[in-house]
Amino acid sequence: MGLSWASAASPPSHTITIEDMQFSPQTLTVKRGDRVVWVNKDLVPHTATAAKVFDSRSMPPKASWSYVARKPGRYNYICTLHPTMKGTLVVE
Amino acid sequence: MNRTLKTLALSALTAAALTAHAQGSGPTDPQIAAIVVTANQVDIDAGKLAKSKAHSKQVKDFAQLMITDHTGVNKSASELVHKLNVKPEDNPTSESLKKGGEDNVAKLKTLKGADFDRAYVDNEVTYHQAVIDALDKTLIPNAKNEELKALMVKVRPAFVAHLEHAKQLQASLGKSGG
Repeated sequence: MGLSWASAASPPSHTITIEDMQFSPQTLTVKRGDRVVWVNKDLVPHTATAAKVFDSRSMPPKASWSYVARKPGRYNYICTLHPTMKGTLVVE
Repeated sequence: MNRTLKTLALSALTAAALTAHAQGSGPTDPQIAAIVVTANQVDIDAGKLAKSKAHSKQVKDFAQLMITDHTGVNKSASELVHKLNVKPEDNPTSESLKKGGEDNVAKLKTLKGADFDRAYVDNEVTYHQAVIDALDKTLIPNAKNEELKALMVKVRPAFVAHLEHAKQLQASLGKSGG
């Protein structure tokens, strides 16, 4: 098949930092097919979980989790461990 | 009866703040380190009891979260203390925190079911509020070492999130009414 232009370049990657018990940025908008990486900079474990869409499961401190956003939509997610932590991922 | 325990936990931390004001000098870094480690340990111990004794799943889950998070905080605190070569020094505040924690566990052991859940969660609300107040008024302002100060600033949001979480639980369980 050979290399197509699409596979030659890796998809754009976006980082969501988890720090001070918050997702930052709180709302992130990406294009379909982009990669989103959550990085836990807190001293306690966290998750990034949108019910039935994506679930990082427990990310220990200093760990990260990546997700390729394939399905367009607006997804509210939480940390299931700390339900006061909320974020939104918008996939265009 | 539960009020007595709340007052105990609260008074230990408030005493630290008052003593600091009265003497014009707050706790030293080794004393602050002991207070931080003890405060976390007290909540880990209560969490361990609640994890096995709590009636509702959400209270059990919260207890597990307290064990995990406060263990994580204490791990970082221990690493820092080791790195800085600070030897945590027991002091009246850390001692009375410890005593308050032991009294709380003893009290909780006499309770069952929904009564246990409410008493545990009520104490968690009071405890986290007291720790946040102590961090703001005494521990963070008095820390001399910048890394020790930074660690407390970094853990503060976790205590705030726990407080909100405990308040939500408290509301869903219904107020105990004392």
